[in-house]
Amino acid sequence: MANNNNHNSKKTHRNFLFKAIKATAKAIIFYVIYLFLWSFLAPVSEFVPGLQQMIEAFVMVYIVLMIVGDLASGTIFQYFFNVAKALFVIGYLIISLGGGIFGMTFENINLMVDLRFFLAVATLLGLLGLAKSVLQAVNYMSEKAEYGRV
Amino acid sequence: MRIPIRMIGIATTFFWIFLIAFFITAVYSVKDVAFNFGEPQMSTNTNGEMTFSLPVTISNRGFYNIGAFTIVTQVFDTEGLSIVQGSTVVPLIRKDEDVTVMHNMTINAGDLLERDENYLFNDSELMIYAAVGMHIAEVIPVEASTNFTMPWGAPLYDFALGDPAYMPYNATHFRVTVPISFENHAFFDLIGSMQIRMYNSTRARIGRGETSLNAYANSPYSGFIDFYVSMVGVTPSGEFRVSFSTSLFDYGALVIPYG
Repeated sequence: MANNNNHNSKKTHRNFLFKAIKATAKAIIFYVIYLFLWSFLAPVSEFVPGLQQMIEAFVMVYIVLMIVGDLASGTIFQYFFNVAKALFVIGYLIISLGGGIFGMTFENINLMVDLRFFLAVATLLGLLGLAKSVLQAVNYMSEKAEYGRV
Repeated sequence: MRIPIRMIGIATTFFWIFLIAFFITAVYSVKDVAFNFGEPQMSTNTNGEMTFSLPVTISNRGFYNIGAFTIVTQVFDTEGLSIVQGSTVVPLIRKDEDVTVMHNMTINAGDLLERDENYLFNDSELMIYAAVGMHIAEVIPVEASTNFTMPWGAPLYDFALGDPAYMPYNATHFRVTVPISFENHAFFDLIGSMQIRMYNSTRARIGRGETSLNAYANSPYSGFIDFYVSMVGVTPSGEFRVSFSTSLFDYGALVIPYG
């Protein structure tokens, strides 16, 4: 019996370690992609103060939610974190882009960028992600209930 | 249910990748769009219109077409009232294409003087609003605008008539010589004529004369006008009424007392 418990504990530890490695690998890949994409935006950031901080904060929070979600995979909490991630994407985009009209002043020049189209599409995709997470949660619960009955 | 969820996931991921890639390449390609502003040109025509022309060359070396490229300029007077507005639109600039447009703004000198005759005699500052807008990749509208001031040089700055000098012409008339001086601070040459009417202290007209004006831009002018007056009507004081007729504007009468 003690041997069986020990074996289960080992399995749980191994599982968690696997999840942690998977989450870390995903986070590293995500961050590398961000660094690659940032190299394209870097010239623009010279003219837009705070752009790098804004995007970096977004990437950091997103990675944290991604890691936590991955660590909680196999539980209902994974879907909570996925929903949180989707809501965070929508909220952050709306707040940081100021409703889609992005304005700044550089010396005597006022620059206005209308990102409403981009924001609308991104929000729709965020909502799609949210719907997916909700469906996953529903699916998880229904499967759990089914297996429980069997 | 797993398959539809997976399909939603794949579709979402695909659209996210597409959206981010499109956005980043669109923003990145802005650095390959070059604007070249040529030497501004000023010209005048016989209808009294001054035309300001600015050649602009747009070189689109980005990944996408540029839509609705617009240049808007608006001139305001010192009180903030709009004097003139100019707008130039290029509907589409394809990628790897160079386009040169001439942005024109036409000011009618007569309209300008109707607002305020001080533009003739006093230097001033005009406020200019300039905006350049375009649709990056034809879907992301971007606009840069600025305000600045531009000096307005008065064409008849410091206009003055000197004391009239009377020389007997015959038994009944004097020949009157009146010195004229001003500085043409304007960007255009002042070519036309000046009429002068002389009134005595009882406001009776005693003589009139006309002279041609040819004052080059940004240069002082001094000359004189000769005309004949009746000896009977001359009084020590009175007034001159001066009118100008040039290719750009007609103005008068400017009342200048003498004596």
